[in-house]
Amino acid sequence: MGPAKLTAQGVAPARERPWMVGAARFIVLIAVCSLMTILTRSDEYGLVFLNVSNLLNIVRNASILIIIGIGQTITLTARDVDLSVGSVLSLTSVVAAIMMNKYGIVFPAAIFAALLIGAILGLVNGLLITYVGLPPFLATYGTLWVLFGFSYLILQGAVIYGFPAGFRVIGNGSLLGIPMPIIVMAVAFICGYFVLNHTTLGRRFFATGANIETAKMSGIRVDRIIIAAYVISGFLAALAGLVLIAYTNGSEARIGDSYLLPVLAVVVMGGTSLSGGQGNLLGTLVAALIMAVIHNGMNILAVPAIWQSLVVGLLIIGTVLADQWLRQRA
Amino acid sequence: MELKTSSFLIRVPSAAWVILLMMTVFTAINARYLTLDNIVNIVLQNAVLLILALGATLVILSEGLDLSLGSVLTLSGVTCAYVMESLMDSGTPNGVAMGAGVGVGLLTGALMGTITGGLVSLGKMPPFIASLGMMGVGGALSLVLAKSTAIYIRNPLFSFFGERLDRSIDLPLMQYFSMPAFIAIVVFSVVWVMLYHTPFGRYIIAIGGNESGARLSGINTVYWKWMVYVVAAVLAAISGVTLAARLEAADSIVGVGWEFDAIAATILGGTSFAKGKGGIAGTVLGVLVIGVARNGLNVIGVQSLWQPALTGTIIILAIVFEIILSRWKEGRRWARQN
Amino acid sequence: MDDRILIEARKITKTFPGVRALDNVDFELRGGETHILLGENGAGKSTLMKILSGAYAPDAGEVYIDGQKVEVYDPRVAQRMGVSIIYQEFNLIPYMNVAQNIFLGRFPLKYGLIDHKTMHADAAALLSSLNMNVDTHTLIVDLSTAQQQMVEVAKALSIKSKILIMDEPTSSLSERETEQLFATIHQLNTKGIGIIYISHRLQEIQEVGHRVTVLRDGQWVGQKAINEVTVDDLVGMMVGHSVAQMFKRDPQPRGAECLRVENLCKGKRLHNISLRLHSGEIVGLAGLVGSGRTDLARAVFGVDSYDSGRIYLFGTAVRDLGASDMVDQGISLIPEDRKNQGLALILPVAENIVVSSLDRLFPRLFVSKNKENAIAMNYVEQLRITTPSTSRLAQYLSGGNQQKVVLAKWLCTKAKIFIFDEPTRGIDVGAKAEIHSFMNGLVKEGAAILMISSELPEVIGMSDRIYVMREGRIVAEIPHTEATQERIIELAMGADEVRKNRMQAETMRSQQ
Repeated sequence: MGPAKLTAQGVAPARERPWMVGAARFIVLIAVCSLMTILTRSDEYGLVFLNVSNLLNIVRNASILIIIGIGQTITLTARDVDLSVGSVLSLTSVVAAIMMNKYGIVFPAAIFAALLIGAILGLVNGLLITYVGLPPFLATYGTLWVLFGFSYLILQGAVIYGFPAGFRVIGNGSLLGIPMPIIVMAVAFICGYFVLNHTTLGRRFFATGANIETAKMSGIRVDRIIIAAYVISGFLAALAGLVLIAYTNGSEARIGDSYLLPVLAVVVMGGTSLSGGQGNLLGTLVAALIMAVIHNGMNILAVPAIWQSLVVGLLIIGTVLADQWLRQRA
Repeated sequence: MELKTSSFLIRVPSAAWVILLMMTVFTAINARYLTLDNIVNIVLQNAVLLILALGATLVILSEGLDLSLGSVLTLSGVTCAYVMESLMDSGTPNGVAMGAGVGVGLLTGALMGTITGGLVSLGKMPPFIASLGMMGVGGALSLVLAKSTAIYIRNPLFSFFGERLDRSIDLPLMQYFSMPAFIAIVVFSVVWVMLYHTPFGRYIIAIGGNESGARLSGINTVYWKWMVYVVAAVLAAISGVTLAARLEAADSIVGVGWEFDAIAATILGGTSFAKGKGGIAGTVLGVLVIGVARNGLNVIGVQSLWQPALTGTIIILAIVFEIILSRWKEGRRWARQN
Repeated sequence: MDDRILIEARKITKTFPGVRALDNVDFELRGGETHILLGENGAGKSTLMKILSGAYAPDAGEVYIDGQKVEVYDPRVAQRMGVSIIYQEFNLIPYMNVAQNIFLGRFPLKYGLIDHKTMHADAAALLSSLNMNVDTHTLIVDLSTAQQQMVEVAKALSIKSKILIMDEPTSSLSERETEQLFATIHQLNTKGIGIIYISHRLQEIQEVGHRVTVLRDGQWVGQKAINEVTVDDLVGMMVGHSVAQMFKRDPQPRGAECLRVENLCKGKRLHNISLRLHSGEIVGLAGLVGSGRTDLARAVFGVDSYDSGRIYLFGTAVRDLGASDMVDQGISLIPEDRKNQGLALILPVAENIVVSSLDRLFPRLFVSKNKENAIAMNYVEQLRITTPSTSRLAQYLSGGNQQKVVLAKWLCTKAKIFIFDEPTRGIDVGAKAEIHSFMNGLVKEGAAILMISSELPEVIGMSDRIYVMREGRIVAEIPHTEATQERIIELAMGADEVRKNRMQAETMRSQQ
């Protein structure tokens, strides 16, 4: 048996000093916003960055990532990563799109189907990990590719666009002036935060991720807990997909691909540990906002899209290295 | 009292059974499956994948993981093509341009591998996060160089290394041989010698099997762990350059997802993620499983839209089968000793 | 045995937080001898062994090799100076063959490539010098434990070791394999190689050793020549006569039977185990490390499966119940490895305490941090756990306090049966006494305790009855009135077997 999982010597992790580490992230967020404000200020247009519609834009763009991020934070807390989220998003939204457009099914049914499929895919991941015993990254990586194959098969390379108006409300509508994606994200976040931090299920997620041996010896049914975590992640990925296609009014087979790397980056930047037992949903939220701000700023500054994905890749590496370095400084 | 797994049936790798099963099913559906021409086709089409998979196998043997190998394949193909075409456009003779291009391609691989290996070995980053990040970086750089189109290569000398021999040599039976296959055979032989006949190869297994034991025996585990990633990336670069020769073009899409096939082939071949168990001979079988599946689905007339999904499913099922079988074999071994 | 002193340790002292592992200990090894290092669990044998092999540095005292004092001593230096150590968990590479393991890192080369022929030839020569005839192409995973051990010995010989340290080498060997090992050891001795042999199997010591050094509680007790001591002498030296008076049980009237185990079997680890536990009792489970006590505890608790047998909880048969169901039934296990199995170190104290009682405490799924902290605080006060707050991460507490947190977790489940596995190991005296008084308090309220312990004064002082296990079997049940350290050690080590065998041999000889 390996050594017990510890936080780095002398460094209390987020859970013991939440106010301080969380504050650090907020400070970074504010700093980045200030930077962007300054960079994008122009004589012609004034404060491009710092106006309400742009800020709402940012948060709305971040919503998809945050919804997926909630699921990822939960699986990381309970066990390990879920690399299949991008494909789950693609497949479930493709299914919903086809149901609505090609078969004329009413959109509530399509929504229900997509969410159900997402949950079932999460179940499959969970079973591969607990009963078959595949390492989580392998299981979810495999699922990623198989699901991509099925998305491609169903949609046949085409793009579907034009959804019923009722459905599009999720993406386009607004409540009290706040865009619907943000509302959906907020609801998902509040539910996720509540479940993870204030329910017995959430406590079991933490216990299982912190030390699976101890969890078993404490009477926790670890298999069920891990499966539950992955089901939630699949469900949320499907939810994010619905919001996404409602907003863009279109769906295609690879729509979810570009979210995997950013969601991992955001979760790690948010302070959730890769080794389990330390999930920080608020951190994920703030990190996603930081990324959205950076993206938005780069867009305004007309940085080519190619460099943006490079930035994300470097951001992941840089964050993890910095995280480990910080943990080693007493 | 020796405890060799003596029963012949047990020693046959699970991949062999899977291949046999698939070939039987495919032949039953369409007798045209089992022709020499088709079999040779399978081999030729998967030569490049084999080279890539060899790299993945080495990393996994050392108990590591490299998800960026597909990106390395893509990027090295792109850099090779880019350099070659630029040189040829400015009048450099074909041979020199090819040498430079291939050199740059391999160097690209070495560089990517050095960074990934450094992050894992020195930076102590979890391998899959490090390699996932590098995958993104590699993909982005490919996009930068190739933009959204392909770089076409007009270098007959280079193309020679990517095609069947009957295009240049007018002799009977030449249609059954191809340069990529030769390259794959040469690479396989070199890797074989390296793995089984050099200290480096033994260090890889030692680090994968019992890293602390290896360290206590005086092996510089940090350095050699790093080197594995470099070698794997160079192998990926070789496969990328060879592929570019075959396609006579390089773009930013072509290698995407190939690391899945490479890792799947490794696992199907019996190499496990722990303990340094397995070897490259099995990887050949693993590549064959994937190749037979893809080719077979094609020959029996499955719609091309169904193919990725079905191939992926077959691969996952074959992996689950392999894992369950190997765990059963381990159980027998353990039971005998206890 | 000749007159050269191969390695010598003088006045070695080593302290770990909370415990003095070695106190002014001397040890010497002569050429060609097998010197046994004997002592109970926790006597300091493995610490001394690690110091002699360079894995630990002593706080005081020196190590001399070949008469020269060794200033800087680490495992690499040790290897170079001819010291090899063979741990119970071998350092071999599972999927490499014998020859490669022997020459790992020192492969013979020809034109830059491994010279397989020479390597296998040299390996085969080494093995045959040890009377082992295993094909050097065999993978380590395909070898039995005994054969793997031989490979380790061959490895040591290949680096020309003169001093071999073997830690409990026969613990996983059959009788025949043990005989072969002893033959090998004799052979090594005749070549002048000295062996430090750590064991507590009295039967074997007489066969293989020349001299024996006995340690007790980190103290050097004595060094004797094997042919000058009897089993009883050795037992007496190991036990000593200072039985601490601090462990006092508070006997309670025996209540109803709450746990019964009948003929429990599990592979080679447990053979036909039967025992009973009643409410109001503290029953001790004594035996050597590896005798199967923890395996038994885990099988009863439900976290490990077993092959056959029956378990009755409060009179009802239970079968195939996993740990979580057993917890619901009111049974608890406080594990030996509190850091890896008892606690989630990166979680706060409060969460560790409530984790097994979540459904009972929060029936409507909602967990309020205030209530969680309040409940935890209750136990912190009741058990006098030293912690600045209940939000403190468990990893920052001292060993004694960590154990109290684990205990609190199970108290919180309102369990009725407690299985303690080494409850006070590595804990300072004050905390030990506190935990004992809690245990007394528990049985006073009608709980039942099964206590696994290697500390004999604790077992004898606290238990109403004691089961003794040896090699997967229960060999005796001793009531409190008959419990003495000598009796328990004899039963645990098989000294009674040794004496019986010797008596039989005497009887047979006298009849000829």
